[in-house]
Amino acid sequence: MLYNEPSPHEVKVLTRRFGLADSASIKTYLKTDGYVAFEKALKMKPEEIIEEVKVSNLRGRGGAGFPTGLKWSFVPKTSPKPKYIVVNADESEPGTCKDRLLIENDPHQLIEGMLIAALSVDAHAGYIYIRGEYRYLIDIMDKAIAEAYEHGYLGRNLLGSAFHFDAFTHTGAGAYECGEESALLESLEGKRGVPRIRPPFPAVVGAFQSPTILNNVETFCAAPAILRDGGAAFAALGVPKAGGTKLTCLSGHLNKPGVYELPLGFPVKKMIEEVGGGIRNGKKLKAFVPGGSSCPVLTAAECEGLTMDYDALAKVKSMLGSGGVVVMDEDTCIVKVALRVMRFYAHESCGWCIPCREGTAWLRKLLQRFHDGHGQRSDIVLIGDLAKNMLGRTFCPLGDAAAMPTISFVEKFRDEFEAHLDGRPCPYEPANRLAAHLVAQ
Amino acid sequence: MPNKIEEILETAAAIAKGMSVTFKEMMSPTVTENYPDEPPKFEERFRGVHVLQRDESGLEKCVACFLCAAACPAQCIYIEAAENTGAVRISGGERYAQAYNIDYSRCIFCGYCVEACPTDAITHGHGFEIASFNTSTLVYRKERLLAPAPPGARPPEIFTEAPSAH
Amino acid sequence: MAAPVKLTIDGKAVEAAPGTLVIDAAKLVGINIPSFCYYEGLTLQAACRMCLVEVEKAPKLLAACTLPVAEGMVVRTETPVVAEARKYTLEFLLTNHPLDCPVCDKGGECELQDMVFRYGAGESRYSENKLHVDEKQWSPVVFYDGPRCILCFRCVRICSEGMGVGALGIVNRGAVSEIAPNHGDHLECDECGMCIDICPVGALTSGTYRYKTRPWEMDHVGTICTHCSNGCKTTLGVRNGQIIRGNNRDRSGINGEFLCIKGRYGFDFTDHPERLQSPLMRVNGKLEAASWSVALAAVAKKFSEVRARHGSFGVIGSTHTTNEENYYLQKFARSVLGTNHIDHHRSGDVVTLLDALSGTAGSLSTTADLYERKAVLVVGADLSSQQPFLAFQIRANYRHHQARVYVVTENEVREDGIAAATVRVDKGGELAGVHSLAEKLKTESELVIVFGDSIKGEAVRELVAFGNSLGIPVKYVALVDYSNSRGALDMGLVPELLPGYQPSNQPGMTVGEMLESESLEVLWVVGANPLESAAMKAKDAFVVVQEMFLTETAQRADIVLPAASAYEKTGTVTNVTGEVQRLKTGPSTMGAKPDLEIIGLIARDMGLAAAVGPWIADKVFEEIRATVKGYSVPMAIISAGGAAHTMPVNGRIPVESRPDLIHSSRDNLFTSGTLGRYSKMLGSVMEGRQA
Repeated sequence: MLYNEPSPHEVKVLTRRFGLADSASIKTYLKTDGYVAFEKALKMKPEEIIEEVKVSNLRGRGGAGFPTGLKWSFVPKTSPKPKYIVVNADESEPGTCKDRLLIENDPHQLIEGMLIAALSVDAHAGYIYIRGEYRYLIDIMDKAIAEAYEHGYLGRNLLGSAFHFDAFTHTGAGAYECGEESALLESLEGKRGVPRIRPPFPAVVGAFQSPTILNNVETFCAAPAILRDGGAAFAALGVPKAGGTKLTCLSGHLNKPGVYELPLGFPVKKMIEEVGGGIRNGKKLKAFVPGGSSCPVLTAAECEGLTMDYDALAKVKSMLGSGGVVVMDEDTCIVKVALRVMRFYAHESCGWCIPCREGTAWLRKLLQRFHDGHGQRSDIVLIGDLAKNMLGRTFCPLGDAAAMPTISFVEKFRDEFEAHLDGRPCPYEPANRLAAHLVAQ
Repeated sequence: MPNKIEEILETAAAIAKGMSVTFKEMMSPTVTENYPDEPPKFEERFRGVHVLQRDESGLEKCVACFLCAAACPAQCIYIEAAENTGAVRISGGERYAQAYNIDYSRCIFCGYCVEACPTDAITHGHGFEIASFNTSTLVYRKERLLAPAPPGARPPEIFTEAPSAH
Repeated sequence: MAAPVKLTIDGKAVEAAPGTLVIDAAKLVGINIPSFCYYEGLTLQAACRMCLVEVEKAPKLLAACTLPVAEGMVVRTETPVVAEARKYTLEFLLTNHPLDCPVCDKGGECELQDMVFRYGAGESRYSENKLHVDEKQWSPVVFYDGPRCILCFRCVRICSEGMGVGALGIVNRGAVSEIAPNHGDHLECDECGMCIDICPVGALTSGTYRYKTRPWEMDHVGTICTHCSNGCKTTLGVRNGQIIRGNNRDRSGINGEFLCIKGRYGFDFTDHPERLQSPLMRVNGKLEAASWSVALAAVAKKFSEVRARHGSFGVIGSTHTTNEENYYLQKFARSVLGTNHIDHHRSGDVVTLLDALSGTAGSLSTTADLYERKAVLVVGADLSSQQPFLAFQIRANYRHHQARVYVVTENEVREDGIAAATVRVDKGGELAGVHSLAEKLKTESELVIVFGDSIKGEAVRELVAFGNSLGIPVKYVALVDYSNSRGALDMGLVPELLPGYQPSNQPGMTVGEMLESESLEVLWVVGANPLESAAMKAKDAFVVVQEMFLTETAQRADIVLPAASAYEKTGTVTNVTGEVQRLKTGPSTMGAKPDLEIIGLIARDMGLAAAVGPWIADKVFEEIRATVKGYSVPMAIISAGGAAHTMPVNGRIPVESRPDLIHSSRDNLFTSGTLGRYSKMLGSVMEGRQA
């Protein structure tokens, strides 16, 4: 099922089967080059597969953007323990909604991606950790897995080779924290979903104390395309240091929000205007979140000439993240956005480490009071200070994810914070605006 | 003879100067207090016999934190602490002073206990007539140190679950 | 051993083994990096972020508690940046932490309080509402005050890792996370209270100590727990002659910080209302209070009279009294009363073990061996329930050194969970079970065998022969019941042996024989309760009892002399592994006297003081060190509060083994013989009531 019309600017690699009749079934999949890449990979040596992925310049699509080929190569060649493939389908980043579409429309692509990863490190079992709120995806995934077993793409002696592989789904219980890879592994093992101390990284000590490849759904889904068409072809789609396409989730005040597969390095302005159909009601752009709520927000000025790729966004001190683009128009109250973001993080902080647990809760209360019009001038500094005190001092990136956007809100939209001072109600609330309008008249 | 005249004049001047002071003081109000015929007047911050204060609802302010005893250079404060319960509530905190004794044969009225008190429970009152021929009467117990409950004060009703019976 | 790693911490050169954490390496040069969640011996948490340090070339501050040392690393632990980070971490911590230090039990010894003082984080910019949840009572001994909790998870870890219980967990997430007990609203566990001690703040508080006093108001007396035979050091908090708490926060003694419920809460028998505070004499068939001088004179008179006509004395000693008292008692009995009818309740076959091990050196295990040796075999004992500290050592060994544990028991035991192999046997089948492990045990490089009272007599010899057949160094522990059960044997409180396991040439009656004897004229019971389960045949015997309580035996007495408890006297005790430690006087109970003094005063009143020597513990111990084999332990260790290992024999003990007399009382965590009956705390926990 699709939720939005495709855009002519899209380069359909991962989403090529989206919109086909019965796209989730193995029949459709096999008709459209399904499991071709797996067959090819079966004949390749593990190093060759990893090399191909390295050539493709594929970078992790979960948010951090770590080169995937490199990550796979960290898995020790020989290990007395079994190796595992774990798919991070705990898509919880606000603004991001791509993995659900990939699973919903093309689950076999994910299975094939897992198989390729498994071949590259000689793993024989894989887990798909699906977000608790995505319960319906479990049925789709389970059905696809059953089909794959039926057709001999999962199980023993796959396609007549000695290779065997089993895949399982596992559901989370609705925790953002479990999207963090080590917390996901804890949760997968049946424990409380709190992050682990790293190093060792999952590539060395992951699920069940064994070497594990853990990637985002989209990363795995790119593997079949890379093997099928070659790493170089995939790399050519993107920018020099990051190959391929990125599923971009456009949301916010746009005329045509949706998930679009755009090549890396796509210009931001063009994306908003042409792919997203421009800002609703002809309003002006105020703020732009490039990759999910954890990224520092960008102003309209910063969007000029900006392209959607890892390095270009790093230059303006933001991130590509998970591709959750949020576009905010001029009527948006940034204090309210900051509050909404902080409410999310305070709710999702796992409680493990002090700066994140107490910092997010404090900021949530402080921003709430501030937005309600009970703020003081010193609070503006305090908000930034508290976020800085969290930044880099927490156990896992959740604290940073809460701190970074907050710092950017205060630094880039200080005037909006000042507009809430002195007991003034939020100038963007419709009721308050109406009242101000009436007073002016 | 001029010396003689000078001497007389100087003497007269001295007497006049002296008497001027005398007359001036005769006119101004007296400083000396008529204690014990009249009650003495105290400066506000006079450090006399201690008073253990109560809060507005009549509960004791003292939570038996022992900081006064720790601060006391003369080691004249003795406390035994106990826990407030739902049924028996003496102080505002979880703990109260079951016994609170000050030994006035040791107290040097330095005020350190008042400084140390985190709840403003112990204060210096203006009582000072505590001399005794028998030192054993100089150990004041809590009952004697406590301020009277404010008129009409009713301790707040406390709703606490009874501890479960494990 | 790999070459040490060289690094610099605060300008000091440090050499540490590879893999050492920076926080530990800093300790080597006397630098204390603050932490809440890091706790030696427990798994790493890295949650409190207090140990953040500056490392050269690192882009941000790193947690010293998870950072292994690296060659050439340059660490700075107290730079302005670090101090500021810690200050703000504390500011975060204090947002929801109530500032009720004046009423909090932890005030004065609180790690958070200390840290706030150290980093000057007393002022807060927090002006929102604090979270509040009501305090909860989890058991009679454990209370939890959620808002005070800083979620360092020490309690969760000590409970699951240290105790092997796992009764604590975490519920909710984020700022409203809470520690929760295993049964919803209450705990069902060992009730050991380790969680309370390990809590850096006042979130977990103790049922006995709550709101009673403040830490600086107490005298802290480090003495030895008087319950089981493990010999844990417990530091008693004493105020106004009353014990208010027991813990071992200074981690001194053989047990470090470990204490079970008995060591931590089982002191309350000392001020039990039924405690005897005056001698009692039977007047017209009823026990009535008498003065010490009258009672002692009456005892002395009777003793002298019976002694003069060479009448029959029976003496029963205690498993709780000190070595000095035991030694003095047997000396008095043997040299003054001229009797060898002296015995006590035996609970383990130490005698046969020592005999079987004669000729070998270093075959007696210490409690430290249980932590260090590579393999441990437990035979016929539920250690976690009966010998909690030994069990703790084995668990720690398993966690820290991956020791292999073998279990041969009748029933399921907690050690099964960490065992490399478990053998379930029927009663009496323990030896066969041990033999079935022979092949596995032969692959070990060393072994400690811990055995209970089901292995006695010939079985001990067979076990030692089995140990010898393995071809690896084997050490042994023969389990005994009470705080000085071992000392009673060492001091010759048995008819067939003199102190130091020297055979007696004219063996006397055992406890059972004394009670069965109809011709017994005087029965003198010092701190024991033989009549609890047996009757006395000699109806007319004169019974003198030195006791703390009016026990079944004391009720039969003609004269009862109130005795001081182990917490109220000095002396030494020997634990199950033969380690001698010294008691210190904590409180004192009016009217009661230490047994040593009572025995001495009886001797004095009989005019025979010179024959037994002064009743001063130090003097008696001097004599023990000089005369009792194996007890020539260094005084420096004993005086400093340490534990000295005794090696009682190294030669045959030519006496007949009496396995029939050996039986353990099998006290669990919540019972402690007669003593346990007078501890309100032990009786109050639900686990104790079920047991």
